[in-house]
Amino acid sequence: MPQFSLYEEEFHPSPWQRTWRAFRASHIAMAGAVLLAIFVIFAIFAPLLTPYGANEQNIDGLLVPPSWMGNGSISHLFGTDSLGRDLFTRVIYGCRITLGSAFITVVIAMLIGVSLGAFAGMLRGVRSSIANHFPDALMAIPTLLIAIIIVAIFGTGLVNSMWAITLALIPQFVHHTRSLVRSEMKKDYIVASKLDGANKWQLFTYSILPNMTEMLVVQGTIALSIAVIDIAALGFLNLGAQSPLPELGAILSDGLDVTYLAPWNVALPGMTIFLLVLSINVVGDGLRSALRKRVNH
Amino acid sequence: MIRILARYSILFVLTLLVLAVMSFSLAYLFPGDVLANLTGIVPANDEQRAALEKQFRLDRSYLVQFFYYMGDLFSGEWGYSFTSGIPLREEIGIAMPATIELATYSMLMALVIGIPLGYYAGMRCYSSSDYIINTTSITTYSFPVFWFALLLILVFSLQLDKAPLSGRISLLFDVEPVSGFILIDILLSDLENKRLAFKDAMSHLTLPTIAIGAISTASIVRITRRSVIDAKNQPYIAAAMSRGLSGGQIFFRHILRNALLPILPLMAIQITTLITNTMIVETLFSWPGIGNWLIQAIYQRDYPALRVGMLAVSSLVIMLTITVDMFNRLIDPSREKYEHAAI
Repeated sequence: MPQFSLYEEEFHPSPWQRTWRAFRASHIAMAGAVLLAIFVIFAIFAPLLTPYGANEQNIDGLLVPPSWMGNGSISHLFGTDSLGRDLFTRVIYGCRITLGSAFITVVIAMLIGVSLGAFAGMLRGVRSSIANHFPDALMAIPTLLIAIIIVAIFGTGLVNSMWAITLALIPQFVHHTRSLVRSEMKKDYIVASKLDGANKWQLFTYSILPNMTEMLVVQGTIALSIAVIDIAALGFLNLGAQSPLPELGAILSDGLDVTYLAPWNVALPGMTIFLLVLSINVVGDGLRSALRKRVNH
Repeated sequence: MIRILARYSILFVLTLLVLAVMSFSLAYLFPGDVLANLTGIVPANDEQRAALEKQFRLDRSYLVQFFYYMGDLFSGEWGYSFTSGIPLREEIGIAMPATIELATYSMLMALVIGIPLGYYAGMRCYSSSDYIINTTSITTYSFPVFWFALLLILVFSLQLDKAPLSGRISLLFDVEPVSGFILIDILLSDLENKRLAFKDAMSHLTLPTIAIGAISTASIVRITRRSVIDAKNQPYIAAAMSRGLSGGQIFFRHILRNALLPILPLMAIQITTLITNTMIVETLFSWPGIGNWLIQAIYQRDYPALRVGMLAVSSLVIMLTITVDMFNRLIDPSREKYEHAAI
């Protein structure tokens, strides 16, 4: 008697493996992922990778040009700023602060947004109406305005700007969670679980949440790119991170004073923000099309 | 139809009420003495303090104070700015149209360039021209708006000297503000060299509009492209093809309008981003708009200005968002009935 089972012969990739295969097939998405990975490594191992301290001044070398320019030196790869601080070190630390605080912001916003959205999606009647519309309508307020109000109440600082951005990001998560929960609640498998006697909490954790992770990952990348830009923008406007702190926006605004003498002080931090956001967007885009391909096939 | 209108008006009024409550409570949330925050005067003695409290009704209950605050808002007495001493209503009356003007032109630019490009890319999806458009849009979309504006200033104003650096119009022209929109004001005015003034105002407008508009254009291209691709994959397109309609007929009769519907609600979300970008770009170009004004107010800790300015800007954004959403609800019959007003 032949010893084989038809079902064990074939390899069935899990949904995430299939997504990863579709993602890997796109070269642009992979390039973005590699770039993002480099940024993440820089952010995590910043103290090991940088030759100087973030606020260490070299008084003999003010405004040294980057190493690829004629009178630059290799001891300062990206040159130095007006206080003689090594720009490469500051940019690496900047990635750490900007990307790290953006990541924390997104995680907090996601936690709050998903819980509120799940509540709003499961409620019915007038309560649902209130739970739906007020967050939506109130959170149409621009991020910068929320940040200005928070700064007026609590003062400037990186943490306060993070709170402002969290507040601005929550409604997106509420909105997407709510519409997803609503559409899932109408499907047959939820009715089946209901007939099995599952309560709302069980319905949410066992049935809806696993179906929501993909949406959350995609929304998370979108929110991450928004958060990076906003944290840098608030740092640039002096409403967020304050000057000695190496945050990319704050470094850019410091460099603005010496634009004529040392344009690399504006160009390089700005370029870093741009590449960081670009890599996040490319990865998010690749992930979205990979998920779409998986669902379509 | 009337029910939808009623529902949206209730939503609008309630939201404005909540905003007014928030704006009212800000006076108590700002650090420091409430009286000093409201008036800018630190009372020298108890008598003066008592008199001021009576004048600003701080001795009454919060509810009474709130009603008086609402009354003041409606009658147009919005208080005075700490820094300039000018009535806030006047300052906002000048700053707000400047922002709306800039945002409108950027949005127009985004629509005029973004939607056709999006259609083109969507109709030729996964071809090389589509990849080029898509790559350009994702790159533009990733630009931090303040850095992009700085680059424009560095290249076009400082290196090439093609465009002015800041402001709305050269100081040589004295344009009477009627509508608050500089281009309309110039056309309405009786200046001798209208044409020159118009050209000057246009050259001031160009760089900020491009800085804001490029990013909006990029996101509109992406939204439109996606929506066109989705519409193309619908079964009714296959049905139309099997009936033997030509490509042009399918595009004009089926895809064009159906692809436009999902774009509208997504554009409502864009308004918030647009206003934030406008506010940031204004500070870089010293554009005398509400964003620049609010950021100056926060640098000076001008609390009455912040309080009213916040209310004004958020009311504007919410009014726009709710109007777009309502319009979308009215023209789109496919939106499910039980799904109520949402932004």
